[in-house]
Amino acid sequence: MRVARRTALGVLSAVPLLCAVPAYVVAQGTPQAGGTLVMVVQPEPPTLASYQSTSGPIGQVATKVYEGLLEYDFELKPQPGLARSWSVSADGKTITFMLQEGVKFHDGKPFTSEDVKFTILDVLKKTHPRGLNTFRAVETIDTPNPLTAVFRLSEPAPYMLMALSGYESPMLPKHVFGTGDIAKHPSADRPVGTGPFRFVEWQKGQFMRFDRNPDYWKKGRPYLERIVARFIADGSTRAAALETQEAHIAGFSAVLPVDVRRLEKMPHIAITTRGYEMQSPIVELDFNTKAKPFDDAKVRQAVAYAVDRKFVIDNVWFGFGRPATGPINSNFKATGLYTSDVTNYNVPNGVDVANKLLDDAGYARGAGGVRFEIVHDVTPYGEEWRRFGEYVQQQLAKIGIKATLRYEDVPTWLRRVYTNYDYQLTNNWIQTLADPVIGVHRLYHSKLIRAGTVFVNGTRWSTPETDSLMDRASVETDAKKRATLYHEFQKRVVQESPIVFVHELDFVTVHSKRLQGFLVSPLGIYANFDQAWLQK
Amino acid sequence: MLIAKLRFAARRVLLAAPTLLVIVVLNFGLLQLAPGDAADVLAGEAGAATPEYMVQLRQKFGLDQPVYVRLAKYVGNIASFDLGFSFRHNQPVAQLILARLGPTLLLMVSVLLLAVGAGVLLGALAARHLNRWQDNVISLVAVLTYATPVFWAGLMLIVVFSVKLGWFPTSGMEAVAAFHTGWTRIADIAHHLVLPAVTLTLFYLALYTRLMRASIIEQSTMDYVTTARAKGLNERQVLLWHLLRNACLPVLTMAGVQAGALLGGAVVVETVFAWPGLGLLAYDSLFARDLNLLLGIFFVSACLVVAVNLAVDMLYALLDPRIELR
Amino acid sequence: MSEIFRRFARNRPALVGVGVLLAVAALALLAPALYPQSPFEMVGKPFEPPLASTLLGTDQLGRDVTAAVAHGARVTLLIGLVATFIAILLGATLGGIAGYFGGWVDTLLMRLTEIFQTIPFFLFAILLVAVLTPSVGSVVFAIAVVSWPPMARLVRSEFLSMRNREFVQACVGMGMGHWRIILRHILPNSLSAIIVTGSLMVATAILIESGLSFLGLTDPNVMSWGFIIGSGRTVLPTAWWVIVMPGIAILLTVMAINLVGEGLNDALNPRLRHL
Repeated sequence: MRVARRTALGVLSAVPLLCAVPAYVVAQGTPQAGGTLVMVVQPEPPTLASYQSTSGPIGQVATKVYEGLLEYDFELKPQPGLARSWSVSADGKTITFMLQEGVKFHDGKPFTSEDVKFTILDVLKKTHPRGLNTFRAVETIDTPNPLTAVFRLSEPAPYMLMALSGYESPMLPKHVFGTGDIAKHPSADRPVGTGPFRFVEWQKGQFMRFDRNPDYWKKGRPYLERIVARFIADGSTRAAALETQEAHIAGFSAVLPVDVRRLEKMPHIAITTRGYEMQSPIVELDFNTKAKPFDDAKVRQAVAYAVDRKFVIDNVWFGFGRPATGPINSNFKATGLYTSDVTNYNVPNGVDVANKLLDDAGYARGAGGVRFEIVHDVTPYGEEWRRFGEYVQQQLAKIGIKATLRYEDVPTWLRRVYTNYDYQLTNNWIQTLADPVIGVHRLYHSKLIRAGTVFVNGTRWSTPETDSLMDRASVETDAKKRATLYHEFQKRVVQESPIVFVHELDFVTVHSKRLQGFLVSPLGIYANFDQAWLQK
Repeated sequence: MLIAKLRFAARRVLLAAPTLLVIVVLNFGLLQLAPGDAADVLAGEAGAATPEYMVQLRQKFGLDQPVYVRLAKYVGNIASFDLGFSFRHNQPVAQLILARLGPTLLLMVSVLLLAVGAGVLLGALAARHLNRWQDNVISLVAVLTYATPVFWAGLMLIVVFSVKLGWFPTSGMEAVAAFHTGWTRIADIAHHLVLPAVTLTLFYLALYTRLMRASIIEQSTMDYVTTARAKGLNERQVLLWHLLRNACLPVLTMAGVQAGALLGGAVVVETVFAWPGLGLLAYDSLFARDLNLLLGIFFVSACLVVAVNLAVDMLYALLDPRIELR
Repeated sequence: MSEIFRRFARNRPALVGVGVLLAVAALALLAPALYPQSPFEMVGKPFEPPLASTLLGTDQLGRDVTAAVAHGARVTLLIGLVATFIAILLGATLGGIAGYFGGWVDTLLMRLTEIFQTIPFFLFAILLVAVLTPSVGSVVFAIAVVSWPPMARLVRSEFLSMRNREFVQACVGMGMGHWRIILRHILPNSLSAIIVTGSLMVATAILIESGLSFLGLTDPNVMSWGFIIGSGRTVLPTAWWVIVMPGIAILLTVMAINLVGEGLNDALNPRLRHL
């Protein structure tokens, strides 16, 4: 039973329909050529080798240099990219891509099907964290002529067509990366691609610079003369850079929510939460379900009742988000996969319900009104998580649980939670991505309880029923049947509450109103900015 | 005399070698205490990684080998001036450190010069007008600037001079979008240097002012001062020709100590102002468990401190001939 | 002794300093009585400015900044004093022995000092706290460990120059025992430098703690002034009081400590009235 776990973009029937495209996405007026765009990228990417690392910030910069075979519109329908057309055979095991003509890499050499073959088979399939699975079915790629690449698959893989963006599967030049060890390649941080911008330099700790590619295969583009990505460690300083117009855009909540609320009032600044539809993150509280006291479902439910989701959204995240109801993000409402017909923990008298549950579960209040003590770990990805942890600590005190907070750094926390399972309660956030198969299954399936792998089933909760529901849903092609399976899945998971679903997080992009044309696909900042322009 | 000084210097350098070794081993040991390794960090950043991928990563970094093997390898490399490879940054450590050393040195030398210079002047001024209003004002200001947390001062300076008044840039070392060269570039860097340097100077200034003042006060009880006065020198001459030279010694010691702490103290300022220096790099590498890089930074700063201490001791002996260089 | 006391009493700034410190100490002691609930409790609406419903306003989660500052006084003072005390003890002892005895003892102790000083002190503190996991204990330990070398070097240089003075040579010639020389002749003359530096060290300890908190290395279960500042750092433009109030508290305390230290210095060196 193949579960397509780590493919980037989903099974066709799971396409969330994004209807209204905001007005300013359609460029106001005619694009003006020229100008230098300054992006704030946080944190600094560790490398530019997007073929080898899916670290978040890499996607913001590498995508200006590398491109993919396909692009996508706001309805997640594949559009021509480096491939001008493609066709899938009847049995789904052969996909033929016809490539664009006259595409050159930044060093002048032509882009051909040999590069496609090399990239997929020798690089992505071997070193890309998600590529290992995305291209599992690809046995070989035939290159009958320089403009044709024929993928021969061992079995149908409809999800694969959604994983061919410049972000997920960048096309590399074989004549550069073909020689030498791909894992330690000297050109890893000096990328050579086909994209609208050429890499010029990277001053570590300061900035990356990309200049316009004058020989870009889309005539007349890009409009911008230059893109500079700046790295600023301090949150307040990042906000100041946008305020003084030293920078024009900062995405993925690089500007902290509190500053966003302040900046959006300024006449020259706009904010948007669009462009993150492929991520769908959910903020949650994870329990260690194999140890006391959270091996008892009643205790877990009590905690789920005790959290005031609105308070958390309004005060810790300054209003960016919606209360979460279950393991699947409400972004999937349009596809029918999402249901809100589950146990509702978001009730006004939550604390009272929680107290009663704990009393019934046999945890009576002892000295000082404390039922029992726990340690609450805080995920080390920023200040908001600390405030969230402090809030939960206070709420738990109201239901008689004395929680001690613990801060650790990233490697320590990861090891504790996903390798040693040495925790009781931790807060966390997970990207559920564009299809439940990719982002959601990994958190609840018994096969994904793997010590040493991060961001998978760390609570170690599973049931044969939910496993079966997931397995059937991943191969179900009938949309209605699939929806029914996932509805049942959500009901069961929310009832057992191995995770408290707090809220659906909204990433925010803060940008100067002078910047237009950057939001042209659901990939948002992960797109190549060939249509972006600055109003003078 | 010169021979003795050279012998002293040579001996100190030789003695420094085992110190450096101990430091490297100690740092290495401390960093082993921290759970989690570079592979964990990269996996965390990537957002997902299979066990196979992580095993691959560990192999690549040599993290799967026993501790003593890694230590031995590292020490051996240091001896041949190879500081290793930073897998997180995909660059040789030496290259990374060199790139960031410049900005840090620039910041700290400016701060040191400003702080010591102003401190000596203000301290002498305060001592000269002991217990009168000049002394009180200077001492008060010194204490005030010392008591203000550095990051708070930095943030406030940004809010006032950068955001509200627009006189200085908010962060960074240069205007990245402009790509200046030559004198324009130097001027641009100087412009960016002002706020971070001032922020840090305010803090160190207090130290040197007060130390200079206390030192002069203490020195003025010495017999040679009475002698000088008896010889007919006025107060100003006494101060300039006699007191200053001797009173400088504790300040020199403190400055030597501070110079040795160049990197760490700047971490906060570098964070607030995004100044691309070693302090910030070290902080990042600690949390990224990039051992090679962190050890490289520690090693470089260790060499720096040894050199500076040596220089201070020799300068000290120069100023106070009664001290023997043993 | 009373002479010293009287000289101190004539120093107005020092008296102000003592006053402030007494006030801070009183606040620390009375905190549980004045604000019986935990400072972590969310008592009001978030981001209320000072004098709205609480004296000093509320923070992001609606916690009372006044209660936080009051309870924070205890923790901050405790950390500062204990860490400094350990550092002074360690540093002065090692530095004094090195400066006085010289020779291989000096070399050995100076090697030790050098080892501790070669890592940038703040970075070392970060390293220690991060490795030992942030807690009050690890913070105190880290501050003490990074603070003693400067004291050792200072005391050493004082003892070094003092040892070669005529009056000490005379004592040696007289056959006086080492400890007697140190305790009765050298140490008292070095005391002013130790006091000045020591008082600054308490202040430094408090500032290091706030610096560590700024970078996120603080005990999450204990409310110190640095913790409040750390939690309010990101909301500075929106809620300046969260940073400014504990910042002022730190400022006043550190200033007061310094004024008192100065006063002690002046009181202990009476001939220094006129240059």
